[in-house]
Amino acid sequence: MILALSRTEWTLLLRNKTAASLALGMPLLIGALLVANGSSDWTFTITLQLVMMLGFTVYMTVTTSLVARRQDLYLKRLRTGEASDPVVITGLLVPTTLLGLAQAVVLLGVTTFAGAPLPDRPLMLVLAVVGGAAMCCAIGVATTGFTSTPELAQITTAPFFFALLGGAIWPLVADSVDLRMLLVPGGPLAVLVKAAWGGPTDHVGPAAVALAAWVAIGCGLAVRLFRWEPRA
Amino acid sequence: MVVMRDPVIQVEGLRCSYGDFEAVRGVDFEVARGELFGLLGTNGAGKTTTLEAVEGLRRTSGGVVRVLGSDPVADRKAIRPRIGIMLQDSGFPADLTVAEMVAFWRETSTRTSDADAAIEALDLGHRRDVRIKQLSGGERRRLDLLLATLGGPEVLFLDEPTTGLDPESRLRVWDVVRGLLANGTTIVLTTHYLEEAEALAERIAIMHRGRIAVAGRVADVLARQPARIGFDVPAGFDVGVLPMLSGDVVHEPSGRVEVRTAELQRDLGDLLDWARADGRVLTGLRANHASLDDVFHAVRADGKAVTR
Repeated sequence: MILALSRTEWTLLLRNKTAASLALGMPLLIGALLVANGSSDWTFTITLQLVMMLGFTVYMTVTTSLVARRQDLYLKRLRTGEASDPVVITGLLVPTTLLGLAQAVVLLGVTTFAGAPLPDRPLMLVLAVVGGAAMCCAIGVATTGFTSTPELAQITTAPFFFALLGGAIWPLVADSVDLRMLLVPGGPLAVLVKAAWGGPTDHVGPAAVALAAWVAIGCGLAVRLFRWEPRA
Repeated sequence: MVVMRDPVIQVEGLRCSYGDFEAVRGVDFEVARGELFGLLGTNGAGKTTTLEAVEGLRRTSGGVVRVLGSDPVADRKAIRPRIGIMLQDSGFPADLTVAEMVAFWRETSTRTSDADAAIEALDLGHRRDVRIKQLSGGERRRLDLLLATLGGPEVLFLDEPTTGLDPESRLRVWDVVRGLLANGTTIVLTTHYLEEAEALAERIAIMHRGRIAVAGRVADVLARQPARIGFDVPAGFDVGVLPMLSGDVVHEPSGRVEVRTAELQRDLGDLLDWARADGRVLTGLRANHASLDDVFHAVRADGKAVTR
């Protein structure tokens, strides 16, 4: 059932040119530009690539497509079927999440080919990618609660998107990591990526906790804010 | 209320609220296996809210709902494979084709079904590879019905299934509904087309302002309303010359006399005898039983009337 939902969602994503170009093109384009620019600080490049992927492909696409499906009253239809509510939502989230993970692999491949070293602690990287994707899915679902049309998603997704981007840059440019940085959504991701490429590991524990907390907050907000039907 | 042998749907004291507004204020009805139950009502009477509560799509604020013996919200997992739901307004992903949508819906269902036969039955064969956004309103509604009936549910909910359809499409939908009834499907249908309820329903309930105002077998509900006799009269006609009739006689300014009577045959006979004896020709003569329209208007006119 999840498979059928996901396959249909994937088809719909590809058939909508705006959504498809945002989700497929944007992170790859920016990721490639970052590499082409050349870098002495590969951690910086990789973190930004990762954040672009999470922001555009996962977060913004999740919000935009769920709002579009809701506006089409397609979500309402799905609720009349046999699939349970969590199955429906999961089915709709799977394609974007898998697409994001695939992009992460591609971008890392390109970056490695361009001369970046392989990560010393790949597990940290996996934690950043998977945790980041879970956080962006959950917040993405929550964001639909105050987004009435797909067009409006470009505005309503901006605050979290910039928090993600800014939060990721902060620990990268600062001399030392302090706990405030972990409170911003992108912060824990940057700390984990840094640690994956041989950076200090003393903040990895708090970063993982902070990321888990963001996932939990996102899920809580999603349950509270998500609506199956457009507001009358 | 008559106690049914095998009620498939039981609703007792159902209440639903939107914030402070109580849209459904204590509704009771039962639907027996294999019958078509029509839920009628004025706009905003609470039909759709009632139906969505019975379908398990909406939380109730009071009362008990049982579908196939279970709670439609708590036991959703057990009930859903056995029911089909056609909402009043639900959408499609515009970029899928008809065939893709049907194939997708089959995959999300545990019922077995024949997609091609279903597409043909609703006359969508020539549109199977067309994107849904290019379908007409009537075609979308038929696709809606197709998905709800796919795999032959035991219980089917149809919320205004023919609204916006042209007469030909409506008859096709009626044929499909009759076919399902013949196969033993239990159907709850809302409509604001009274002829639709008369054509399909065994029993009806008419809702008004969140309550059921009138309920019963269609024939019984109609029998409770007076029949009508009408004919044209020349200007200056004095209704005093008419024979004594049991019904109410109204001389309308349009030059027509309307009689509302519970004794259609007797009053009509008396009237015809009088006309023959007097050598009169009653032009525009009409005599008919009450229609659901009459019941409907009576309900609207007397919102407080609760006839059970």
